[in-house]
Amino acid sequence: MNKCEDIRGRLALYLDHELQGTERASVETHLTECESCAAVLAKQLNFLKAVRESGPLYIASPALREKIQPLLNDVQVSVPTAKPHSAVKTDVRFRWVLAAAAALLVLFLPILVWQFVGQSDAPSNRRPSSFALKAAETHLRVTRGQLPLETQSASPQDISEWFSDKVSFSVKLPNYQESSGQEKLYTLEGARLVGFQNDYAAYVAYRMKSRPISLVITSASVAKPSGGEEIASRGLRFHYNAIDGLKVITWSDRGLTYALVSDLDERGQQSCIVCHEGTKDRDFIEPLKPR
Amino acid sequence: MNSLPTNAAFGQAALEHIDALYGYAMTLTRDTTEAEDLVQDTYVRAARAVNRPDSDATLKGWLFVIMRNAWLNQVRHKNAGPLFVDIDSSESTGDAQDNPHVVYLRKLEREQVREAIESLPDAYREIVVLRDIEGFTYQEIATVLDCPAGTVMSRLGRARGRLKKLLSAWQTKARVKAVGHRN
Repeated sequence: MNKCEDIRGRLALYLDHELQGTERASVETHLTECESCAAVLAKQLNFLKAVRESGPLYIASPALREKIQPLLNDVQVSVPTAKPHSAVKTDVRFRWVLAAAAALLVLFLPILVWQFVGQSDAPSNRRPSSFALKAAETHLRVTRGQLPLETQSASPQDISEWFSDKVSFSVKLPNYQESSGQEKLYTLEGARLVGFQNDYAAYVAYRMKSRPISLVITSASVAKPSGGEEIASRGLRFHYNAIDGLKVITWSDRGLTYALVSDLDERGQQSCIVCHEGTKDRDFIEPLKPR
Repeated sequence: MNSLPTNAAFGQAALEHIDALYGYAMTLTRDTTEAEDLVQDTYVRAARAVNRPDSDATLKGWLFVIMRNAWLNQVRHKNAGPLFVDIDSSESTGDAQDNPHVVYLRKLEREQVREAIESLPDAYREIVVLRDIEGFTYQEIATVLDCPAGTVMSRLGRARGRLKKLLSAWQTKARVKAVGHRN
């Protein structure tokens, strides 16, 4: 089997992001050298794009949603129909827990009322947006090794260039560390594409003191930040969510929507330094801290 | 990292996947009433399950596995055996990618592509939906279908080959029609 046959046999795996590391690199190297294989890749990419853009094939009707919702609500209130013998002891313990809970409620009621009144102008829909959920899911899968990076580099320029012919928007990662001459607080690790809303979003992986940080970028026409706690800072509106134990901050700026995911402290606002490390940007990060 | 710590969080996260589940149910049943029943059955089973996934990342695949098992149970009760049959693995697929008409695929109407997917044999339609519409990885598909990842790879290759042929043939017909109208 010659090199071209071998590469063409693996193009589907390459396009499905099932190749990693050196295997992926060898395909990419060949594609830059062989016009014929690059043309075959372009054809396959066109085909897959047409198929992927045809979805979703079906949408659940509002009536079906209405039927399902009570089924899921029932999960919360389901109780055993028959009491086991051990339930008597449990009941006594339960009464103690109830009494303690009542006492705690009396103690913390003023705080709860204050929080409610203080946030009465907060949006009623606090559910994370699908983009925030996607970013958190991708972060988890990458950190668990289930989703490999497609390109590995510590250079923002290289990563920005890698995205140039792969996504429909411009990705320009800043290099604040170099220009500021400050101590290196984080490292850029690499990037990959992530399917979102029948299009590709850009995924960028960073690491700060061994803790992973993910930045996911898509067009503002594809995803709008919503839900969670809304915080205004320097003309932008940030949405903060805690998802799967992760801190997710989403916002839109100049035609793009971003999601920053980490397991850092508080609201994960320290993850913002991947783009805003300069001391002049401190006042950008400060408002994101919990009050 | 326990991502779905409460029943409320689980219910909310599970409901996010209703469109994907309904799409998969339609792929399996090809009937709106049966598909809606299957979606309900899936959610009932998921709500009763003891070992739910501890993370939202694996929830969708878990729900798809429940749906496929529920559907297979229904089929076994209704018929003697499952509807999906293994498709001849020796089927050729290599020619489609060289067909020049494929380059025009991006211009095809979404409806045409959907129609082509719908006209695929069951097993092919299912794998295309799982990979290209729902975006599952090969390993995730292997878990849903309960088969080796190698089978996923080869079946997906054959399914896409068939899809390319269908779309290419339709494109050729459309061009011939257009030329006929001009003459």
